[in-house]
Amino acid sequence: MTLLFDTWYVAKRELIKFFRTKVRLVFTLIQPVIWLAFMGNTMNRVTNNPFGAQMFGTSNYLTFMTPGVILMTVLFGGVFGGMSIVWDRRIGYLEKLMAAPINRGAIPFGKALAVMVQGAIQVVAIVVIALLFGVRFQTGIGGVLLIIVIASLFSGILSGISLSLAASIRTIETLMAIVNLFTLPLMFASNALFPITMMPGWLATIAKFNPVTYAVGPIRELTIHGWEWGKILPGTGVIVGLTLVFMLISQIVFQRATSE
Amino acid sequence: MQTAIEVNDLVKVYKNGVRAVDGVSFHVGRGEIFGLLGPNGAGKSTTIKILIGLLDPTAGDLRINGVDIRRHPAEIKRATGYAAQETAIDDRLTGWENITLQGRFYHLSGREIRVRATEVLEMFNLYDRRKHLTATYSGGMLKRLDIACALIHRPQILFLDEPTLGLDVQTRQVIWDYVEQLRTEHEMTIFVTTHYMEEADVLCDRVAIIDNGEIAALDTPDALKAGIGGDVIYVRFSGIDGNESALQSRIGAVSHVRQVKPTADGTYRVIVEQAGEETIPQLFMLCEQLGVTIDAVSLKKPSLDDVYLHFTGHAMRDDTENHEAHMKARFMRGRARRGK
Ligand SMILES: Nc1ncnc2c1ncn2[C@@H]1O[C@H](COP(=O)(O)OP(=O)(O)OP(=O)(O)O)[C@@H](O)[C@H]1O
Ligand SMILES: [Mg+2]
Repeated sequence: MTLLFDTWYVAKRELIKFFRTKVRLVFTLIQPVIWLAFMGNTMNRVTNNPFGAQMFGTSNYLTFMTPGVILMTVLFGGVFGGMSIVWDRRIGYLEKLMAAPINRGAIPFGKALAVMVQGAIQVVAIVVIALLFGVRFQTGIGGVLLIIVIASLFSGILSGISLSLAASIRTIETLMAIVNLFTLPLMFASNALFPITMMPGWLATIAKFNPVTYAVGPIRELTIHGWEWGKILPGTGVIVGLTLVFMLISQIVFQRATSE
Repeated sequence: MQTAIEVNDLVKVYKNGVRAVDGVSFHVGRGEIFGLLGPNGAGKSTTIKILIGLLDPTAGDLRINGVDIRRHPAEIKRATGYAAQETAIDDRLTGWENITLQGRFYHLSGREIRVRATEVLEMFNLYDRRKHLTATYSGGMLKRLDIACALIHRPQILFLDEPTLGLDVQTRQVIWDYVEQLRTEHEMTIFVTTHYMEEADVLCDRVAIIDNGEIAALDTPDALKAGIGGDVIYVRFSGIDGNESALQSRIGAVSHVRQVKPTADGTYRVIVEQAGEETIPQLFMLCEQLGVTIDAVSLKKPSLDDVYLHFTGHAMRDDTENHEAHMKARFMRGRARRGK
């Protein structure tokens, strides 16, 4: 019970700051707009023909790409989840939290929860922007809700990884360097922007095991096709599983890193 | 007096082999202001962090309000408040947000938090600025807010790690006034570390001097000062004319006088056990009887600085160098002990 309570207030602190930094809010929205407006327009020629439409599963590249943009946005948000712990350690706030009678597990959980809520908010914004660009979600409101859940769970995985790294890292620069190393490859070695069938063999193999691909799968299914559970459940299951695994790892790493 | 803090044979060896605290024992009574003084790296912060449950002790029996701190960590955390050496305020939150979140982390209800945050912020003169981001606060305001946060759950024992470090004289005075107020109005026990000896002298009921992880001295400031040799009176006479030895023995017979010695420039150095200011009139009466004139007199009382120097054996400003050499030696000893 106190774990839930403590987790919420750890997250709330991050969320207050998230909503306060208006510039950051605007920028998180500008990015998807740029992707949809520029990439979408350029690439529309590729999907505008029967062959392309078959390859991408839709004749509208924007529809194909929207799930990719959603994932990319939460991916970038998620990897920075660990940053706030590095920062808190730096300013002594982490020590202050640990001097309080809170459940220590609430610290990584709360940071991850904040990232997931931020992710969900960003997804809502992207969905609205995509609707304005003419993208239609086949599964309606229900589908969009499930998309939000999957995407924010995905950001939970990323924040789990980044929190695990952050527990033992003392400087933000180091964390940034490590995080940057794997975000872009993670993005491009997936089906987020291009179908796997279009990739060279080696990249296709990597993409098949990439968690981004697992998250894109059900989201794209919900966007383009409809409620086909056989295609929605497996990817969703993998994402839920990975979220739990990385949350657990971040807990263990955090407990170990803070005991002296 | 009931005991608030009991520390028996505390030892802390960090994972990197540094022996920060090496067999420290002391008791702090309820409602006492207890000062822990010592050079940089002496183990003050380490001791505090162990007492509030931030660090695990390597060995030792530690009790807060009679409760074993390792057995009941949550209870200890609720009974203690802590303001760290480095101010830990989130500068992207307002003062109000900082303190109310702190209240949440101590599991207070929303109503309790509002009432107490208002009360504490008013006490620390921060209420008017509560809605401003703390990034706009001055160093003194941040320190005050940090201490205010540590009070939100009304702890019985407050740990302040160098609360006045880097503050100007007025702000330091203000903080010490708050500390006094907390003790008198709330009967709080206050455990404080500081490098300002005059402050410790005025405020602390008792002080412990810690050096290299060991307690070098522990007593009331007055007893410590008396312990290193008492007050010194310097007197210059005229009209003695060969009566020097008689004068010297007569002064030596005055009560509380421990030693009388002429110095190179003809001034006499009179060491008195205590209350040198009460000995001076007696010297005047004596000289009148003997027909000797006193030309000049001055009194020097030992300060806590002298005590500190006496027990730590080196001046504050030399600390860093000495400390590093010492740490190296201690580190090697630690390794030798562990057989590496
Ligand atoms: N986390 C840590 N890991 C390893 N060694 C540490 C750690 N924290 C402190 N030490 C070492 O333990 C010793 C005692 O440090 P501590 O911070 O307790 O000193 P202090 O008396 O508070 O000094 P100061 O007056 O400078 O604040 C020092 O040698 C320090 O280098
Ligand atoms: Mg210290």
